Amino acid sequence: MRDQEIDDLLNKNAPAPLAPRPELLERIAASIQPSLRPVRPLPPAWILAGGLILICAGIAVGGAARAGFLGVEKMDMVQRLLIFPALLVLACIVASRFVREMIPGSRRRVSAVALLALGCAALLALFAPLYRDYHTDHFFSVGFACLVTGFEHAVPAGLLCWLLLRRGFAVRSVSAGLMAGALGGLAGVGVLELQCPNFQASHVLVWHLAVVPLSSAAGALVGWLAGRLTRSNAR
Amino acid sequence: MYLESNLETLMALYQQGDFTAAAALIDRISPQLHRFFAVQPGSRPHADDLLQETWLRIHRVRHTYRLGEPALPWFYAIARHVRVDHYRRSMRATAGERELEIQSGTVAADHDEQERAHRFEALLAPLSESQREVVAMLKVAGMSLEEVARATSSTVGAVKQKAHRAYEKLRKSMSAIQPRVQLRTGSGKEGTDNRERPGD
Repeated sequence: MRDQEIDDLLNKNAPAPLAPRPELLERIAASIQPSLRPVRPLPPAWILAGGLILICAGIAVGGAARAGFLGVEKMDMVQRLLIFPALLVLACIVASRFVREMIPGSRRRVSAVALLALGCAALLALFAPLYRDYHTDHFFSVGFACLVTGFEHAVPAGLLCWLLLRRGFAVRSVSAGLMAGALGGLAGVGVLELQCPNFQASHVLVWHLAVVPLSSAAGALVGWLAGRLTRSNAR
Repeated sequence: MYLESNLETLMALYQQGDFTAAAALIDRISPQLHRFFAVQPGSRPHADDLLQETWLRIHRVRHTYRLGEPALPWFYAIARHVRVDHYRRSMRATAGERELEIQSGTVAADHDEQERAHRFEALLAPLSESQREVVAMLKVAGMSLEEVARATSSTVGAVKQKAHRAYEKLRKSMSAIQPRVQLRTGSGKEGTDNRERPGD
């Protein structure tokens, strides 16, 4: 059976357009009329994305300033020139995607999960050759402290990002939460790269970069809960 | 007054608080959205309620429409969100309750139309909910792949894949029942359209 024949069958059997009753349309129009006021459309996407990046950069620099910029001081020029621009580019991509998640009917070129996976893989591929100290001293104790520090900064960054886009409308709250978490996670990685002087490859690749998937998962969970809450309120 | 205006212009005026534009949009978009709800079994009995709920949601988030972007996927994305919410809520209802709701549906048109709706439902029965939705948007609403991708917050590639898999399933099931279906529908040569073919 060819596609054309399937099309024909679907066309022949599709229910005829049932015009909604005129009184229903009048009722809908009457229900929105009292609250029909001019509204301010959302700013252009690049302004919103720029705001998100400023929030993340602010949190990263502010957070690192408290403990000192020991990490960036210890880095060589190649590390500085590769790591921070890469984080910035990734933050731009994720911020742009987060803005799209908050605007219904936006174009998506790749799914949110695929974008996150690609981003994490890109960070791993970039960081792996830059850190060549293969010792693993105090792997868990020191590493866990870094993970907590990164996550502590990721949470306010993600929340502030969400606050900036609060006027948007997420038709897929889980994806929106995932992207907010990923942005926060990138801010967390930024803090760790700026302040952590532990350059052991295993430490950086595992504990620093784990902040991104961890905070993304937390963001997705919050998005899922928010979606459930909205649905139960609607009931 | 706004008969010739396109949806994007009407949306811009609606955002500025123009009631005539809002009423024109309601008249223009509601039949499409109503049909979108009516062709899917889970939402058919509640098409009127879902349409009202969709417009309330559209009204609340009308500031999220951005000038210059296509308006139709924006409307459908919100309608789909309302429908998915409704579907999830109804999934929690008991099967018996759902049966009663369907029997006392508000969209009950004449007998022929119900019969047609049941046939359409039977045709799409082998498909998953998301595949059915994509086929309904492409074939019933006449949307392009790009519009469906925007409306379903998905990528064009994912929509193509869903449509392709849906057609594979339909091909298998229709091949099995083809003689019976042809008896019911005639030769199957009418109603051909020239829209973009998802399976291509």
